[in-house]
Amino acid sequence: MTKYLLKRLLHGFFSIIVVVGIVMVLIYSLLDKMQIFALDSQYNRLKNNTKVSYRYSRWEKYGYLDYVTYQDYLYELANSGEITEEERSAAAGMGRTPNKDTEKAKEYIAKFTEHYKNMGYTIERRDAIMATPKKVADGGQAILFAYKDTPLIVRAWKYFTSLFSFDNINYVQEDVGERGLEFTLYDPVYGGEKFSPAIMGNGTNHRYLLYFDGTFPFIHQNLVTLNLGTSYSVNQGIDVFKTMTNTQGGFYKSQVTYPTGLTELSADDLHTATYIADSRESSKINSDRFDSDYTNVDVVRGGFSKIGYSFVIGIISVALAYLLGVPLGIIMARKKDKLIDKLGTVYIVFIIAVPSLAYIFLFKQIGGAAGLPTTFDINAPTTLMYILPIISLALPSVANLMKWIRRYMIDQMNSDYVKFARSGGLSEGEIFTKHILKNAIIPIVHGIPGSVLASLTGAIITERVYVVPGAGNLLTEAINKYDNGVIVGVTLFYAVLSVVSIILGDLFMAMVDPRISFSDKAR
Amino acid sequence: MDYNFTGCGYTEEELFSRVDHNDLESEKITAPRYSYWHSVFRVFFRKKINIVILAILAFVILFAYIYPAVSHYDEFGNLTNASAKHLTPAAAIDKFGFDIHWILGTGGAGQSTFDAIWYGSRISISLAFICAAINMTMGVIVGAIWGFSKKVDIIMMEVYNIIGNVPYILFISVMVMLFTATFWTMVFALTVTGWLGIAYFIRTQVVIIRDREYNLASRCLGTPTVKIALKNILPFMTSVIVTLLATEIPSYISYEVFLSYIGMGLSEMSLGRLIYASETAMVTPGWGFEFWSPVAIASIITVVLYVVGQNLGDASDPRTHM
Repeated sequence: MTKYLLKRLLHGFFSIIVVVGIVMVLIYSLLDKMQIFALDSQYNRLKNNTKVSYRYSRWEKYGYLDYVTYQDYLYELANSGEITEEERSAAAGMGRTPNKDTEKAKEYIAKFTEHYKNMGYTIERRDAIMATPKKVADGGQAILFAYKDTPLIVRAWKYFTSLFSFDNINYVQEDVGERGLEFTLYDPVYGGEKFSPAIMGNGTNHRYLLYFDGTFPFIHQNLVTLNLGTSYSVNQGIDVFKTMTNTQGGFYKSQVTYPTGLTELSADDLHTATYIADSRESSKINSDRFDSDYTNVDVVRGGFSKIGYSFVIGIISVALAYLLGVPLGIIMARKKDKLIDKLGTVYIVFIIAVPSLAYIFLFKQIGGAAGLPTTFDINAPTTLMYILPIISLALPSVANLMKWIRRYMIDQMNSDYVKFARSGGLSEGEIFTKHILKNAIIPIVHGIPGSVLASLTGAIITERVYVVPGAGNLLTEAINKYDNGVIVGVTLFYAVLSVVSIILGDLFMAMVDPRISFSDKAR
Repeated sequence: MDYNFTGCGYTEEELFSRVDHNDLESEKITAPRYSYWHSVFRVFFRKKINIVILAILAFVILFAYIYPAVSHYDEFGNLTNASAKHLTPAAAIDKFGFDIHWILGTGGAGQSTFDAIWYGSRISISLAFICAAINMTMGVIVGAIWGFSKKVDIIMMEVYNIIGNVPYILFISVMVMLFTATFWTMVFALTVTGWLGIAYFIRTQVVIIRDREYNLASRCLGTPTVKIALKNILPFMTSVIVTLLATEIPSYISYEVFLSYIGMGLSEMSLGRLIYASETAMVTPGWGFEFWSPVAIASIITVVLYVVGQNLGDASDPRTHM
């Protein structure tokens, strides 16, 4: 069994890697690189050569290519001590055209060109653009840079190797005093009196590596960070995983005791503190509150995260679907060709055939007429606003479950074991609930982990129609905004969920049905 | 005993005529004549409801193709006429006089809602039929090979696992961005990987039937694989394929509506585009017609197609022909 599971997981891994590769080909190689600027207002304001350098620097950020300017190269030389600061500034003075370069600049430009040519880069030099014979046009300064397209393999390798980052005590490069981990039984965030174990680090990126608090799942860690990919337009500079899991809405303020002892009403979550060099000294606000440079904290917000909303709505509707769909399907099978079966069939046909958009709007209209809130408001949460999205999500799953339960039960009804049970004198009720259901439910069980995990990804239409701030629209939003990092990250997330849910489904099925065995020995 | 055969309508001569032995006649096997497709339609038309639904389907399809061809629909004809926008049917008839164009009122550009939904229906129905035709053909052929060959099975399962995990929306949006969102781009986007799911379904069916005893016997007698596939297995799957077709065709209409709604649909005024464009009209009192008309027509088309297909699928199962 373990061997089989391992094999399946390995296969799943392989599929996920290929999926991410395909998605990278789709978005990095097939699509026009210029499209990322379609919605960029800053790009449209820039002119001449600055527009070109902006374009390349963006492309580097989005992961298309590797881009080095001549100035960067000189700074790097100066930092490593190869040239002095005077030499650097002398060499930096590029002429308007190559002929007008100073001797020093010529020497270093030749070095730069040779250095990067050897590494396979393309060197591009753009002469200054003149407004008048004497005056350089707006943004028309001469530029020199080298760039190299990132090959797919390198990009995928970089992506997968940086997927998990591990915090360690040598993370911070600056001098932070004595590096090390500290274990405390009384977390200082709670005033140092309440019993609450925590591991704190000095020299690490995060101040708190392991801690407890009052929110699910109660024990939290910052030791391993998941980097699914950085967003550029959807949620700038934030990792996709954080975009999905960070709380939303208005600030949730509470009495916070800062490391200096200052207590005030604030939304800061001290457990999320990360290191920023010299941040304490540079700001009065920070030096009043913090005793070290671990000052960068997230804020606590009143609402759930994107995944949180999707999951709450999703999991309730999944539970509702199974609670309603399975019994209704059983009744339909028992009363085959009676009125209730026909009514159920009409409902199933309606849900399957009518475009989902149409009936979701219909439910919205009906619900609105009945006085239920039709839009989601995270700042004034009520239980009522969950009702319509949950119903909209549950009704189609109910239809689907009814259809399959009825089908499977009717298929079983003519089996020999049913005839035997009937001839043995069992009542129809017993036959249906004890004999047929056990066999008919097996394929249904296979889908349970899938539908539970799928509620993490959210529902596109339902969330749009009811303005739910869930995770369902993340992918479409990212596609519309050409946010490559988010597209790759979300795809990876979906792929992992789907692989895991199929494997879990098989395991569940084997648990319910002892005849199904995945180990090689039993066969 | 006294039998009274004459009471059964037989004449005296018939009862006692002499019947000679005929070699030719005795060779005939007297089974009732059975024609498959004839029986399919006999079973299908036995239910009166099917005739009604088929008539609605025929009407909708004919209307969707003939009406736009004979009427002149100018989407922007009333664009500058501010008083012609968002009219209810009554107001539109009041304004323009009674004409078939105005029986559903006007939309945001003063265009006739009635004309717009039939133009949209034509595009959506064409899209659905073309996509279904391509995907079903590809799916059935590939699925049959996939089910038969164990080597192909290993490769195709991996392909299926991988392609199935690439978000479908991403595929379509990349296609739409690569080319423009024309009708044929959409057909390409919906069919480039769409056949894979059908092929997988057919593969499972083939695997189930493949190793039945009668196929084993057929193979032992030396029937070539192609003949087994065409003569032994394909007839078995006709009803499955028809039932699948019944769910596939409406699903493309629904999918097109969905894609338009999330902003990745056709550039032409399909039903999905109409619904998307008039979404704000849903909540505005008095504008309801321009939103609910395309929704209703999309629902009617899909429901009718689905019911006809399901019943045809039932009828094409030989077990119902008794």
